[in-house]
Amino acid sequence: MAACAKGLDKCMFSLRLLRSPRLQNERFLSTSLGRLAPKEPSKFTPPPKPVVIDKTQTVAAQRKFLSPEFIPPRQRTDPFKFVIERKDMIRRRKVLDIPEFYAGSILAVTMADPNASGKINRFVGICIQRGGKGLGATFVLRNIIDNQGVEICYELYSPRIQKIDVLKLERRLDDNLMYLRDALTEYSTVDPDMNPVPFSLTEEVPVNKMKVRMRPKPWSKRWERPKYNVQGIRFDLALTPEKMEHAQKWAQPWREYDMLKEYDTAQLEEQILSEVQQAMSK
Amino acid sequence: MHSKCTNWPCDCVNLLVIYHPAHVVSCIRTVKTTTWFDEHLTEDNQEYMRKSMAQEYRRQTVDKLNPLKDEPWQRHDWTQGSRRVGLVAVKLGMAPVWTKAGERHVVTMLQVQDCHVIRHLSKEEYNGHTAVLVVGGKNVSPFHRSEEQMEMFRNAGVPPKHKVTTFKVSDNAVIKPGTPLYAAHFRPGQYVDVTAKSIGKGFQGVMKRYGFKGQPATHGQTKTHRRPGASGPGGDPAKVFKGKKMPGMMGNIFVTAYGLKIWRVNTKYNVLYVNGSVPGHRNCVLKIRDTVLPTRSSTLLSPPFPTYFTEEEGDLDEDLYDDNLFIHTDPSLTLT
Repeated sequence: MAACAKGLDKCMFSLRLLRSPRLQNERFLSTSLGRLAPKEPSKFTPPPKPVVIDKTQTVAAQRKFLSPEFIPPRQRTDPFKFVIERKDMIRRRKVLDIPEFYAGSILAVTMADPNASGKINRFVGICIQRGGKGLGATFVLRNIIDNQGVEICYELYSPRIQKIDVLKLERRLDDNLMYLRDALTEYSTVDPDMNPVPFSLTEEVPVNKMKVRMRPKPWSKRWERPKYNVQGIRFDLALTPEKMEHAQKWAQPWREYDMLKEYDTAQLEEQILSEVQQAMSK
Repeated sequence: MHSKCTNWPCDCVNLLVIYHPAHVVSCIRTVKTTTWFDEHLTEDNQEYMRKSMAQEYRRQTVDKLNPLKDEPWQRHDWTQGSRRVGLVAVKLGMAPVWTKAGERHVVTMLQVQDCHVIRHLSKEEYNGHTAVLVVGGKNVSPFHRSEEQMEMFRNAGVPPKHKVTTFKVSDNAVIKPGTPLYAAHFRPGQYVDVTAKSIGKGFQGVMKRYGFKGQPATHGQTKTHRRPGASGPGGDPAKVFKGKKMPGMMGNIFVTAYGLKIWRVNTKYNVLYVNGSVPGHRNCVLKIRDTVLPTRSSTLLSPPFPTYFTEEEGDLDEDLYDDNLFIHTDPSLTLT
């Protein structure tokens, strides 16, 4: 088929050339040369893939974020226990909107408090730690009020919590910002009346690469030691290089090769994320 | 093996019954021939055995009534002083719960898996005082159970069970063997006692086992930091009393936790949410029964007597909650 088509092509060409000799300018020749030169058939270019815009899902649901307390720990518990716990977590999430946040984000939490005036208590702070799994998941907010550092540990699924607002969504270089207790107070102060910083759901969460200055030693924990793996402290201002080297004595370089300590959660995460998104959309 | 027995071939087991002379008694056969179920089977046959057993037992578990004997036994009403059966369950794990006042409590989740009544022993057969129901829970493979046990399960028409326990029961609460028992047998607001084997800690010293204070770490103590110290009064009794607390095996004994409140019952998956902690490790099999404590016995609640039958009582809600418990589908608490 291709051969006779080629032959036809040539015939057509010769006919065309015969028909209009005065149109034999360079352009024509060059195109004809270009056409005659490649002997093999033209490569098949597939049509461009259609871009699917899913209008049934909200933009928020399309954001692939699974809250860390959904991922079950590596234990000998029956997976069925996590299934029923997840059902309760989803039921609570349908009533209270728990937004996406990380350690380093600034949150405002309104809680019912029997001892407060008006029975409502609003606290604004920077999230320094997210801990716990399942229904007992917690997060710690830190702020400095009247020159006094205050940390409050809230349970995400407690019925006393009425609202959680994310005033500023960002991440830091570490997952655990407990070192802010030993840092200068300016790094833990958050204005209680600050306005929420707008954040569009399609963007990636920005990482704040700030490195924090510390108060003079002694600190509550020896943050320079490798087990804490702290990236967000300016050690060059706080410690001499000799001390940093001395801290490396507590390094455990074999840990990264220990296969028994590996816990690969990628598949579990996908499965749980699809389950949670389905249940939330119902 | 039978070096002492020179006269007879290895039929000693049978002949011992007839001949009693002393020099024959040493010729007892200690190693009985045991074969495991798949020793002489091909691989296909092994697979088939496993699958067919599993299917049959699933069918037996699902059947509401024993197919061999059709009618259920007579049901009597509850009277003051009657005791009903308990259940056998599996410990899943723990979770927090909140009350409507905002207080946080911890709860253990116990799942009732394949609980069946296996036997009924009347007063005369058992001990002359109370009738007893033998209940089993959590199906297990038949290939590692002895013939006597399998006979008992076959008579009840029930798959072989991991744990088989007895519950002392009054005569009016007797249930026919083969009936399944469900978690709805207990209702929220009731109090229960849970018995299980505690986690085994092995051979432990006196400080961990009984909480002795030991000795100081410094100030001249020679090789004595965790020892029991003195063991008794002295010259007058000149002995150590029986029951003296000493190092030994700790744990792996049956322990009962009394007066645990039931906060929630999930009838779909047969899960009980029981207050506080319960002895035993995760996935261990436990025994649950109504409380023995007089101040927590609930006559107001009227739990199903003798047990919860799905055919008669029909549709309960998927989740039954205690009155004080905060349900997650409710709006957040406003304390006023």
